[in-house]
Amino acid sequence: MRLEAKIEVDAVVIGGGIAGLQTALDLAEQDYLVVVVEKDASVGGKMIRLSKVFPTLDCASCITTPKMAAAAHHENISILTYGDLKSLDRSSDGRLEAVVEKKPRFVDEAKCIGCRQCEYDCPILVADENQGGFSARKAIHIPFSNAIPQVATLDVDHCILCGRCEKVCPTQAVDYFQQPQTIRIHAAAAVIATGFQMTSLHDKPQYGSGEITNVIDALQMERLLAPHGPYNRVLRPSDGMEPDSIAFVQCAGSRDRSMGVPYCSRVCCMYAIKQAMLLSGALPLADITIYYMDIRAFGKNYEQFFQNAQAMGIQFVKAKVASLAAAENGAVEVCYEDQVNGGVTRTSHDLVVLSLGKIAAWNPFGTCPVEVAEDGFIRSVSPRLAATLTSMEGVFAAGAAAGPKDIVDAIAEAGAAAMKAASYLSACHRPKQARSGVSINVKPQPSRAVAMG
Amino acid sequence: MSSASLKKLEIKTGLKQLRELRKETITAATTRMKEQKQIIKAIKNQLQQPTTVPAIAEAAGIPPHMVLWYVAALKKYGEVKEVDKDGCYFRYCSIEAS
Repeated sequence: MRLEAKIEVDAVVIGGGIAGLQTALDLAEQDYLVVVVEKDASVGGKMIRLSKVFPTLDCASCITTPKMAAAAHHENISILTYGDLKSLDRSSDGRLEAVVEKKPRFVDEAKCIGCRQCEYDCPILVADENQGGFSARKAIHIPFSNAIPQVATLDVDHCILCGRCEKVCPTQAVDYFQQPQTIRIHAAAAVIATGFQMTSLHDKPQYGSGEITNVIDALQMERLLAPHGPYNRVLRPSDGMEPDSIAFVQCAGSRDRSMGVPYCSRVCCMYAIKQAMLLSGALPLADITIYYMDIRAFGKNYEQFFQNAQAMGIQFVKAKVASLAAAENGAVEVCYEDQVNGGVTRTSHDLVVLSLGKIAAWNPFGTCPVEVAEDGFIRSVSPRLAATLTSMEGVFAAGAAAGPKDIVDAIAEAGAAAMKAASYLSACHRPKQARSGVSINVKPQPSRAVAMG
Repeated sequence: MSSASLKKLEIKTGLKQLRELRKETITAATTRMKEQKQIIKAIKNQLQQPTTVPAIAEAAGIPPHMVLWYVAALKKYGEVKEVDKDGCYFRYCSIEAS
């Protein structure tokens, strides 16, 4: 028996990252009812996993967590986590219909109090994707300490059904028989805020295809720098050594036709500079080198930030890195073409960070008839005058869903998308939904049986 | 049979069916769990006194990157703590032993 639920709202926001949350908050503040659909077990997106933001070096978590909490507690916002968007299209009544499959957590969200007793008792360790794979989580776990909602999720791919979690749960929240739930959301407007993902570390054979332990990506470095990171300090993943020499390889996934990413990802220069500055604070004696083709410091105070990094002693080498290879004692040999002095040079570093490219996190093909551009991001029909407008009436795009951008621009664009959506809702002359908050009316539908697992 | 007993029986039967349905993943996860237990035991034996990741790796015959992964996990779940620094490496020890 499949559980079905129906929600009537003014707007549906696809994606619970910083752009999605900002859009939802801005719409909710204008008294519109909003549902946020998030594919992960917690909202927060990429930003909640970052250490600090450039160019102010403010704590990323300190900015994101209040937004997450504000959205979670707003009476006009309902958050659907762990949900797969199956379709987003216009229904026969002219409104938009989003069909979301809420994946089973195998934990009752209403009963779980987030005590993590189940997690501590679970005997299975699994690589923790929220810590860049550098540490472990359990088969049943809460994604991270400030996750919203604070509800455990059971990963059935690693569960042995030993029953320990069920036994120790003080609220009997564990439910091994939980089923997926189909939720139909009817809304007048939709905002796509599905964000970005990084190109794969495995896609570049010249850089080791992810096989060199001490070659990591920038999001993994974010976790090493974060206060609640896997080691609580910066260590080399191959053996726990505090690195003495760290290199950043720029354009390791962007501006590279061989990777299918010919465009600039816009943020790599700045996050590499930020990480280099944070590293020089964490490891004052370490040599830090950034291999770059050109530095793109285009935003407000970004150029000053770049100059500050140079003044701090971070080395900037104008070069294109040709290859990386594992060397002795865990070192990584960097072979590069020096664009200033000429010639091919080889040098070793303890740890190498790749500034990978940004690609779209969501491909709407088969799910939603919204158009995408050649780069895979949502196509804006008026990129200069109204960047948030998409090819579908009533559907708007915010943040990195429409193209690579930094946090400042993503938040600004989220506000713009909310404004456009509000104007659209107002122009539709549709009455706002009854102000009794969003309620999900779940009723079992005697439909086809669903296989467990 | 009381309703509580019936419910218990229903859950038991349901779990049996679920185990059958997830047979492959359960077998694979059980094998992993057994391997993990052995590795954790070997690492914990070394952590009776403060030591570094390479030293544990050498003594236990486990690759150092794997030792670090387990030490980070044990630290997260409150079984291991960082003690002090030894050259470029940090020393860890079991909380039980300290």
